Amino acid sequence: MATTTHPDPGAIGGVPKPPLAILPDPDSLFARRANRFGFLAEHDPRLGPYLAFLADLTALQARLIDELPEPDPITRDRIELARASRMPPIDRDLQATDEVLHETLTVLCHEALSLEMPEPAKLALQAVVSADLADRHWLLENLLSDRIPEDSAAPHLFAAAAVQVHMARLASMLDAEALVPIRTGICPACGGRPVTSQITATQGIENLRYATCACCATRWNEVRVKCLSCASTKGISYRSVETEKATVKAEVCSECDSWVKVLYLVDNHSLDPVADDVASLGLDLMMKDTGFSRAGLNAYLAGY
Amino acid sequence: MNIDLSRRSFLRLAGAGVAATSLGAMGFGEAEAAEAAHVRAFKLTTTTETRNTCPYCSVACGIIMYSEGDVKAGETAEIMHIEGDADHPTNRGTLCPKGAALKDFVKAPTRLTRPRYRAAGATEFQDITWDQALDKIARAMKDDRDANLVQTNEDGVAVNRWTTTGFLAASATTNETAWLTYKAVRSTGIVGFDNQARV
Repeated sequence: MATTTHPDPGAIGGVPKPPLAILPDPDSLFARRANRFGFLAEHDPRLGPYLAFLADLTALQARLIDELPEPDPITRDRIELARASRMPPIDRDLQATDEVLHETLTVLCHEALSLEMPEPAKLALQAVVSADLADRHWLLENLLSDRIPEDSAAPHLFAAAAVQVHMARLASMLDAEALVPIRTGICPACGGRPVTSQITATQGIENLRYATCACCATRWNEVRVKCLSCASTKGISYRSVETEKATVKAEVCSECDSWVKVLYLVDNHSLDPVADDVASLGLDLMMKDTGFSRAGLNAYLAGY
Repeated sequence: MNIDLSRRSFLRLAGAGVAATSLGAMGFGEAEAAEAAHVRAFKLTTTTETRNTCPYCSVACGIIMYSEGDVKAGETAEIMHIEGDADHPTNRGTLCPKGAALKDFVKAPTRLTRPRYRAAGATEFQDITWDQALDKIARAMKDDRDANLVQTNEDGVAVNRWTTTGFLAASATTNETAWLTYKAVRSTGIVGFDNQARV
């Protein structure tokens, strides 16, 4: 609390400049997300089992942060080169062979064996655990290029959990100030695509939109009412389930016929970019019939 | 390519089966089906968020207008909410009390939507045509200018000053419109004048 009675006009006149990017904090990111998954699981009688499983998996991600070896930070030369060429500093192609990422995948999958899950999930997990180097590389390479083959969504789900942990830790080591905007819908830290975007409620950046990277969880500022897939500002509309005030909407672009979810944190600050994406599967199911295709990436919702 | 195929089939056979979604592949197909059955009872509504400029003053703050229904899709749209556009460099989402009350301005039953006229001494407004309205305004301006135009100042220097009439022009215009408005109004001598070109 301020102890002085002198007025501070600075607080009134100052309009803060929104930061381009907000880097993830792995220590709190996964723990919070696990809580949110847990809360949603308790309150959703239909998707509950899946959300509860993801709560366990995310809690495992949170726990491993302290146990895994530190990834090698991106070198200063690399960051300078990326800045000069207006490219993201993290080259995801190089990460597919990164030793720490491979160890993250191995450790995460071994630990995940003790989680409760249905038989098909367990089989897929065992397959990843016993996969050779080339197979693991194939999984990681797919995820790092935003690709999930439709016939192997389950093994990719576990690999995605490992990629999320590794990339969030790597991104958290960057300097947010040194990032440059790449292009609409492209993460300035790793070049990834968004999972969802959020209308923020944080003081100073209220009502602005930040997209969350599906790969490294960096949040970056995007102009509102703009397609995150093709950057068009024409023909944008929103679809939501008929309610008085929807907090999750599909931002539909009639120029490229795709859509990405927008979460209104201004109306509910508990929403999580990944957990609430899964919990609002109903919207995806309804959007399937509209002819528009989902552009938000989420390895927990492959096939939508 | 053969190698790739065998690798894929290994992982596929090991876990996923033929299910095309994460939920199906992970064995949560039942939950997925329950959700699909649940949403069948609901419909999607369309809302829009449209950028515009606050019409009040020359600062020209950015606003976002929230509507239910999509005019572009042939539906009727109804404005539900108006707020400052946080992306707009001028106001960064803030609005003054007048701008913050814009929805009531749009929906006001007394909002002027056509030219109307109240004769001197009358209590009621009557509808008139645009031609009649513009003729009346031109007549009133001409009479006032003829009576009150200042053509020389105290030192006897020629000036063009018309101080008895004021002019308030639009805030949401292009540079070209603002320039033309300025030219037209200033050349009549009007000094009490505001439009976007001021800022």
